[in-house]
Amino acid sequence: MNILNSSTSKRKKRSESISFWTFRLMSWFVCSLLFIILGFIVYHGISVISWEFLTSMPKEGMTGGGIYPAIVGTLCLIGGSVLFSFPIGVLAGIFMNEYAKDGVFVRFVRMMTNNLAGIPSIVFGLFGMSLFVNTLKFGDSILAGSLTLGLLTLPVVIRTTEEALKAVDNSFRTGSYALGASKLQTIRKVVLPIASPNIITGLILSIGRVSGETAPILFTVAAYFLPKLPHSVFDQVMALPYHLYVLATSGTDIEAARPMAYGTALVLIAIVLIFNLLANALRRYLSKKVKMN
Amino acid sequence: MIKIESKNVNLFYGDFQALKDVTMAVEENTVAALIGPSGCGKSTYLRLFNRMNDLINNIKIEGEVLVDGQDIYNKGINVDELRIKVGMVFQKPNPFPKSIYENVAYGLRVNGVNDKSFIEEKVITSLKHAALWKEVKDKLHKSAFELSGGQQQRLCIARALAISPSVVLMDEPASALDPISTAKIEELIHELKKEYTIVIVTHNMQQAARVSDYTAFFYLGELIEYGKTANIFTNPTNIHTQNYVTGRFG
Amino acid sequence: MTHLEQELTQLRSDLFEMWSLVLKQVKSSRDALINFDKDIAAEIRYKEKMVDAFELKLDRDCENLIALHTPVAVDLRLTLAVLKINTNLERIADFAKSIASFVLYCNKESLNPELLQVTQIRDIFDNAIDMLSETRKALKHENSKMAIQTFVKDDFLDEMNEKSTAIISEYIAKHPEESEEALTLYSIIKKLERIGDHCSNIAEEIVFYMDAKVLKHGGLDHED
Repeated sequence: MNILNSSTSKRKKRSESISFWTFRLMSWFVCSLLFIILGFIVYHGISVISWEFLTSMPKEGMTGGGIYPAIVGTLCLIGGSVLFSFPIGVLAGIFMNEYAKDGVFVRFVRMMTNNLAGIPSIVFGLFGMSLFVNTLKFGDSILAGSLTLGLLTLPVVIRTTEEALKAVDNSFRTGSYALGASKLQTIRKVVLPIASPNIITGLILSIGRVSGETAPILFTVAAYFLPKLPHSVFDQVMALPYHLYVLATSGTDIEAARPMAYGTALVLIAIVLIFNLLANALRRYLSKKVKMN
Repeated sequence: MIKIESKNVNLFYGDFQALKDVTMAVEENTVAALIGPSGCGKSTYLRLFNRMNDLINNIKIEGEVLVDGQDIYNKGINVDELRIKVGMVFQKPNPFPKSIYENVAYGLRVNGVNDKSFIEEKVITSLKHAALWKEVKDKLHKSAFELSGGQQQRLCIARALAISPSVVLMDEPASALDPISTAKIEELIHELKKEYTIVIVTHNMQQAARVSDYTAFFYLGELIEYGKTANIFTNPTNIHTQNYVTGRFG
Repeated sequence: MTHLEQELTQLRSDLFEMWSLVLKQVKSSRDALINFDKDIAAEIRYKEKMVDAFELKLDRDCENLIALHTPVAVDLRLTLAVLKINTNLERIADFAKSIASFVLYCNKESLNPELLQVTQIRDIFDNAIDMLSETRKALKHENSKMAIQTFVKDDFLDEMNEKSTAIISEYIAKHPEESEEALTLYSIIKKLERIGDHCSNIAEEIVFYMDAKVLKHGGLDHED
């Protein structure tokens, strides 16, 4: 006896196609939203992008000239925060996942790390100002800004590392121990190479986040208008996100500076995009290399 | 000569007693199979001999576990050295994400061997021993992941052999493999017992019958019967063993 | 060669050894009877113990092989054939032993040559021995046709067996004083006929092993 009569099979087909079209429309909606925003910025910003815009100082009350110091400043801040947060975060992640015995302490640290990741970035900014700028007397400087941004990304880096290590199948570890390898050898030669594509992807994505943050640098490093390049880590710099904020809200002539604002936004998005693409390429390269080695 | 031995071993995971007063000895250059229903303690027992159970928290071991007459749970024992002497092959093939060559060389490198020609020689003999050499000799520097499941498992055996153990523990080495690969592994075990003492855990009774000289039947953490495989499979003395090997269990 | 193949090869060569032993026992029993040689007869009785031990060993080996290796298809048929051939060989050796016992415990020094002549006992012996050695050869060369050919010799043995009643009763009528020997020879002819039957069984087992065909009981097999 055929338990599937034609009306049920028709009904199944109909509900199938309804849900299929719902999913499809939703994803189109998200994509188009993204492209509208991007298109809007590109449309307004592309006209001011030029070699000169990228490589010269701002002029005429920031309604002319370029954004060169802001680009350099953002790159400095990325570099500084990476130098601070990556080593500490990765090592902490390794400790938490590989060495620390699962207990009250680890659970507490993990909870705190998660909480840290949820703290609004302006709080980091204020904390950085009070600790690095005032107490430690770094002043408004690349150092203070980098450290603050580093603190902001630290929980992300720790979580990323932990997750990447957790994803490494335990059979690799036991396999290594069974061959007489020590814990350190096992982590260094087996676990980390396997986890590295995921760790590095996470790290680069956190760079994307750093480059876009405004609040943490507001009180710690960013200069309103400083048409020169920094000479040491104790110098102030301009930074793209803050520069954008200034152009859009508090410039001398907001209307005249509007094209400059779109241009700045476009450059910022481009930088984030480049980092994301880099992360993807690197992940693909590394996972291939891990398999091949 | 007795190669490995346990005397009155009790093992606890927290409050749960996984092994109850197990006394058993395995002769040199023989294959001993551990059989029994899931959760009977046979894998736990196997892992006593290279101290793999140490990785589990909250474990307590009583009694003596001897390898070459030496109690391996003594304070002065170096676990890494023990694991060089007592190799292990796992249920799921677990080659490292490295080349075939580096997989086999790994055990030597982590134990401080740097002599290139020695490593190369060891890699080749180990692969030959594991009956894999012919299949991989032209792609030693390709990723181990390119091999089939059966080949990967033989690679793991070669990896274990490379550090010259005298005992090889196998934890269901063929349970994830197809029949042809399984037959290859079983043939390999027959070859290997000429040079190694082998203890194998298996769910497959026919496999225990085919490859082993001695068979131990575990049930609820106890060693119910241990004897020549031929006797266990033709005339077991214990009714539980009889029920298990005839498939009338439970 | 796989482990199972090695075991099967060993089993085969053990069977051939058993076979040679039994063949020698039958040949010796012939010599013992014809020449009425009590020394040979004693040796046969002694060697019978070896045959019995060999039978037990082969049985045990087959049991272990089945229990441990679960052979299938041709491997299973070989194992089963060995098991059954083994039993037949042991029975054949038993007949050789009882012939030897007769020679050993008979209080005569020799048999009347006429008795040997009229019963054609030499020919009967030769036929039985041929059957035993030819079936052995058939298995050795894995040749089922060769095995089937031995059935012809069995027909001769059956025929002689049928005739023997008349021959022996005639002989007893002529030599009533030798009736005991004559009746013993009658039973020996029966034994040799039984040896022929056992050899036929062996031939059938060889065919079963080689071709998976059942020839027993007129071929009531599973082919249709």
